[in-house]
Amino acid sequence: MTTATSAAIHVEQLKKTYSIHERESGLAAAFRSLLFRKTRNIDAVAGISFDVHPGEIVGFLGPNGAGKTTTLKMLSGLLHPTSGACRVLDCPPHRREKRFLRRITLVMGQRNQLVWDIPAMDSFELNRAIYRIPLPLFKSTLKELDDLLELNAIVRKPVRNLSLGERMKCEIAAALLHRPDVLFLDEPTIGLDVTMQRRIRSFIRDYNTRTGATVLLTSHYMADVEALCRRVIVIHHGRILFDGDLSDLVQRFSSTKTIVVKLENGGADLSRFGHSVALEDGGVALRVPRSETARITEQLLATLPVTDLTVEDTPIEEVIEQVFALE
Amino acid sequence: MKLLRLLWLYFRLGILSEMEYRINFIIQLGQSLLSLGAAGANLAIVFSHTSSLNGWDPPALTVLLGIFFMMGGVIGFVIEPSLQRLMEDIREGTLDFVLMKPEDSQLLVSVRQVRIWKLFDIGLGGAVIVTGLLWSGEGVSAVNFSVFALTILAGTVIVYSFWMLLATLTFWFVKLENILVIFQFVYQAGRWPVTLYPAWLRIALTVIVPVAFATTVPAQAITGGLETEMLAGAILFAVFLFGVARMFWKIGVKRYSGASS
Repeated sequence: MTTATSAAIHVEQLKKTYSIHERESGLAAAFRSLLFRKTRNIDAVAGISFDVHPGEIVGFLGPNGAGKTTTLKMLSGLLHPTSGACRVLDCPPHRREKRFLRRITLVMGQRNQLVWDIPAMDSFELNRAIYRIPLPLFKSTLKELDDLLELNAIVRKPVRNLSLGERMKCEIAAALLHRPDVLFLDEPTIGLDVTMQRRIRSFIRDYNTRTGATVLLTSHYMADVEALCRRVIVIHHGRILFDGDLSDLVQRFSSTKTIVVKLENGGADLSRFGHSVALEDGGVALRVPRSETARITEQLLATLPVTDLTVEDTPIEEVIEQVFALE
Repeated sequence: MKLLRLLWLYFRLGILSEMEYRINFIIQLGQSLLSLGAAGANLAIVFSHTSSLNGWDPPALTVLLGIFFMMGGVIGFVIEPSLQRLMEDIREGTLDFVLMKPEDSQLLVSVRQVRIWKLFDIGLGGAVIVTGLLWSGEGVSAVNFSVFALTILAGTVIVYSFWMLLATLTFWFVKLENILVIFQFVYQAGRWPVTLYPAWLRIALTVIVPVAFATTVPAQAITGGLETEMLAGAILFAVFLFGVARMFWKIGVKRYSGASS
C-alpha cells in the first residue's frame, strides 16, 4: 500500500455537530413545535485527532453515544465533517470518489446489505458486478473467505433462513469481496453467541495478517478488543480520553486488583480486607488497591482457611467504566 | 450501457427473489387481466352511448388504454418499487450501503428493486395498443412510430423524474409514504385523454402531476394527432425535469450526509 502520508487513516481536529430538534412532552408542546422549532447543537465528535498506520488493528471504545459510529461514518464518507480534516488512503472520504470506495469497506453489525429472499451467493454476484471484480479474482477471494469462514454450506441458502451468526459471516464476506485495504467494523460481533464471536474475531485477525489491511473496530465486547487490538482509542462525549496500548490503559486507569478467595467453611465476612462480593460458586471476590495486593494476600493466607486464591487484573470493562466515570 | 447492465443485474435478482414465492405469479397475472378487463368494459359502456369523445374514437381510446397500461407497467416494474425502497432506506438508515458502492448512487437507487410480474402489464399494454391500431384500420407511418417512441421515452423520463423528486423529499420529511399513493391515484386520470378535462385540471395533469406526458401525448403521437410543438415540449420538459431531479438528489444526499450542520 502506497500513500503519500505514511498513515492509512489520518484524522485531525475532526468535528461533527448535529443540530437536533427539541421539544417538551405533551400535546401543547407538540403543536408549539410545529410552528416554532427549537434546535440545539450537539457535538457528536468534538475535535479528535489520531493516525492509524497501514496494517494496524485499532479498537475504538466508548459507551453508546460516544461518537464512535459518527467517526466511522465520517471516515467512510457517509457523513460530512463539520470541521477538521480526515484522509483515508490519502483521499478525503466525504467526496466518495470511486477509487476510494473501491478500497474501503464498512460492516455494521446491526444492519445488513444482503438481499433477504435469495441466497447470499447471488448478492455476492451483485457486488462482483458493481465493484467490477474480475471473475478469477472473485473466485480466489471467495475461496479464501470460504477457508476462513466456512461459507460453503450457507451461501446457497436464502439469507432469511440463516442464523444470525451465519448471516453475519455472509455479511462480512460480502463486504470483503473487493479486497478492501481499510476495514471499518462497527460492532461486527453484536448479538452473536460466544463461539461465533470467537470465529469472527479470529477471521479478522487472519484477514489482517494475510492482506495487511488496516482495521478500525468498535465493539461493546471487550473480548473482541482484547483479542484483536494492541492499540485502543477510548472516546467519550466526542473526545478522546485515551489513545495507546491496551496494557497501558489498564496500568493507567486501574488502581485496583481483584483477589478471588475460596474458604474451607464457605462464606465468611471479608469486608475488612476491602470491597467484597460473594460469588455464585461460594467464593468471594475482593477488590483491593493495587499497591496493597501483596500484603492483603499474605494476610488472607495467614489468617483464614483458604482452599483457593487467585489474583486478577480488574476486567477491562470495569477499567473502561472507571475511565468514563472520571469524566 | 451502465443503466441497462445494472437493470439486468437487478432484474435477475428480482427473478430469483420472486421464484421463492411462486404462487405470486398466478395472482399477479390474474390481477393484471382483471384490471384490464374492467378498463375495457368501461370503454365499452362509454361507447355504447357515443361514438366519439372530444375527437377520440373507440380505437384511439383503446390505444390510449394500452399506453396507460404499459406506462403503469413500467412504473410498477422498476420505478415504484425502487423508489419505495429508497424511502424506506432513508428512514431506516440502510441507504448507507448504497452510498458506499463505487457506482452512481442515483442510478443504483432507481433500479435496485424490480417487480418482474409487472412485465405482464407492459406486454398486455403493448397488445392492447396493437389491437387499437388494427381496429382503426389506419397503418402507422414510420414517422409516427418514431415520434411515438420518442414520446414514450420522454414520458417515462418525466414520470421517473417526478417520482424521483417526490422520493427525494424523504431526506427532509421522513414520513412520506402517502405521497406515492396520491400519485397512483392521480395517475388513474391518465386512462382518459387529458383533453377531456376542464382547463385547470388539464394544466394540473400536464405540469403539476405530469400524467398527460405519460399517456395522452404518446397516444396522440401514434394516431398522428400530435403537434410538433407538443413533441418538442415533451422532450424539453423531460430534459428539464430530469435535470431538476438530478440536482435535487445531489442536494438531498448532501443533506443526508449532514453537510448542512
